[in-house]
Amino acid sequence: MRFWELCRRNLKETYRDPLALGFLLVFPLLFMLLFGLAFGGDTASTFPIGVIDNDHSQISQAFADEKLAEVPVFELSTYDDTTDAEKDLKFGELSAYITIPRGFGQQVAQKWQGEETDVILQMTYDESDITISEQIISIVNTVTHSFARIEVPVTVNANPIHIETEITFIDFMGPGIIIFGLLILIPTSARVMVRDKEKGFLSRLLTTPARPLDFLSGYSLCLVAIAIAQIILFMAAAYGFGVDIVGSLWLAFLVFFLAGLSSIGIGMVVASLSKSENQAEPLCWLFAMPLAMLSGCWFSIQLLPSYLRDIASAFPYAHAIEASRGVLIRGVGMEGIGTDFLFLVGWAVGIFIIGTFLFRRSMRS
Amino acid sequence: MTSNGIEPVKMDDEFAIQTFDLTRVFGNLVAVDGIELNIKKGELFALLGPNGAGKTTTINMLCCLLKPTSGTATILGYDINRQPFRVKEIIGVSPQETVISERLNPLENLNLIGRIHGLDAREVKIRSQQLLEIMGLGERAKDQVRKFSGGMKRRLNIMMALIHNPKILFLDEPTLGLDPQARRAIWDYIVQLKGERTILLTTHYMDEADFLADRIGIMDNGKVVALGTSTELKISMLEKHTMIIYAWNITQKVIKEMRSKYAEVEVTDGTMIITDKKLDFKEIVDLLHSSGAVVRSAYIKEPTLDDVFLHITGTELRE
Repeated sequence: MRFWELCRRNLKETYRDPLALGFLLVFPLLFMLLFGLAFGGDTASTFPIGVIDNDHSQISQAFADEKLAEVPVFELSTYDDTTDAEKDLKFGELSAYITIPRGFGQQVAQKWQGEETDVILQMTYDESDITISEQIISIVNTVTHSFARIEVPVTVNANPIHIETEITFIDFMGPGIIIFGLLILIPTSARVMVRDKEKGFLSRLLTTPARPLDFLSGYSLCLVAIAIAQIILFMAAAYGFGVDIVGSLWLAFLVFFLAGLSSIGIGMVVASLSKSENQAEPLCWLFAMPLAMLSGCWFSIQLLPSYLRDIASAFPYAHAIEASRGVLIRGVGMEGIGTDFLFLVGWAVGIFIIGTFLFRRSMRS
Repeated sequence: MTSNGIEPVKMDDEFAIQTFDLTRVFGNLVAVDGIELNIKKGELFALLGPNGAGKTTTINMLCCLLKPTSGTATILGYDINRQPFRVKEIIGVSPQETVISERLNPLENLNLIGRIHGLDAREVKIRSQQLLEIMGLGERAKDQVRKFSGGMKRRLNIMMALIHNPKILFLDEPTLGLDPQARRAIWDYIVQLKGERTILLTTHYMDEADFLADRIGIMDNGKVVALGTSTELKISMLEKHTMIIYAWNITQKVIKEMRSKYAEVEVTDGTMIITDKKLDFKEIVDLLHSSGAVVRSAYIKEPTLDDVFLHITGTELRE
């Protein structure tokens, strides 16, 4: 039970350190509060969306009438052609309209049979309000994704007209900010471990019968406990700030937990490669902040150029945000987030193995 | 739990710590150069030497933190290379850097080390309280360590090495950077520990080695250059004596006469220092008197460990 004693000690060192606690818990909560104040509120959070079905196939009808209509924040109205829709968009009657092009049903059917085709949806929206467009694009993307089980490139046309709408952005951003909180675990994990190395505490304990595995499990267990506390607190706070939780809390928790494990693993790798806190900490922030941005912690990544999205999707956080958003605000189950979930499991396990290996090696002299 | 089925290699009942050509090289630097030490059970052995002499490297190898480049050592018969975890079970280490969990209180710090050494919670509690009382930290037992003074932290550092009642105790520079009062308090405590267990202490303070150690090994450039009790080491110096005389009115004539009789005679500002293998105290004073000098004081200087060190290494021990 040596690891247990070490874990207890690590926990005490952390929760008695106001600065560390502030970073871990208060900092993300502050973000959440700011976003909540800025974009929260009790105004109706629905978007009037126009749909033009040029395909008239069974599939396109199913998509429009079932899938799109199912989205709680969409208020759908059907149009026969673009002229009326565009007029309504200009007058602010619509937030956006979606055009289902001819051949959509056939393309989707081909996709389902495993053929390589591009499925095109056309969406026209008001460019001037970024928050709206981001959300709508992201929601449409998720819907098409879960409908066609493929990534549907949405062609976007922008119309520069001003539309006044207030929405609860917090619904959309909540998961991102929770993931941001879990990204802060990277510098924290690295600091907890590298500090002991730097100050000689690790060497001191290496003169006791404690084994390398005791240290590793002592650190990991402590950090996992911190991650769990963080997730519970953030989820509660998100709920408090008005995020409507639709899907399974457990599944969302699991997704966040996997993201947290990845952060701990990355922290372990950084701690193994650095000699001092002064080295490890900036390195972590340098890594975590751009990653938070690319992964979509603060805004939707749908508007990023594709190469930046590719970089983000090599890391677990964009997947975790996507998956947790699906679960929390759209009620998607495991079947809807399967790929993202597997990716997260793979990442968490992989980085933990690498981190363990490197940290063990760095303990030897 | 870590017997590995390997029994102690050699069990020389007399010795607690033995090193066999123990060597550690860092790049081009030979930090510890083939030292051979035999430290008896119950002995307090001091490794004395300047910073960089290789004392800490030696201790780090003995407590299995550093692998020797070549050679080995045994601690109560257990080989540091082959049975490191056996060794770690029986040693207590107080490192040179005071390493404590700053946001834990002394009880929690002691508990951590004690539990890691396999003591149960009750044992740890009893021993912690004893140690805290003896070391005068009883009243601060529940304060976070980061608020402690350097001396208090040092004492806790030593307590943490003692919590599991180890047979072998390593104290690496136990009073480094402390004020005289705090040093004295730690010395007094170390004196109490003598005899119960084997203690290997490193220091670069001569008075510390002189006061505490049963035997002293002088280390320089990775080698043990002299070994013996404090008195033995000083006696080895007695082949040369120094007499210091403070006097007025020392004439050139008497200086010349002294130089004809003794090997080294130095005179500066009414102080005459005479060094030779044999010195006749009375003869020197009489000679000065008869030359008309007024002798205010005169004495034969007792050699210190510093003299021993200077004599052996050709450099002074820096404090």
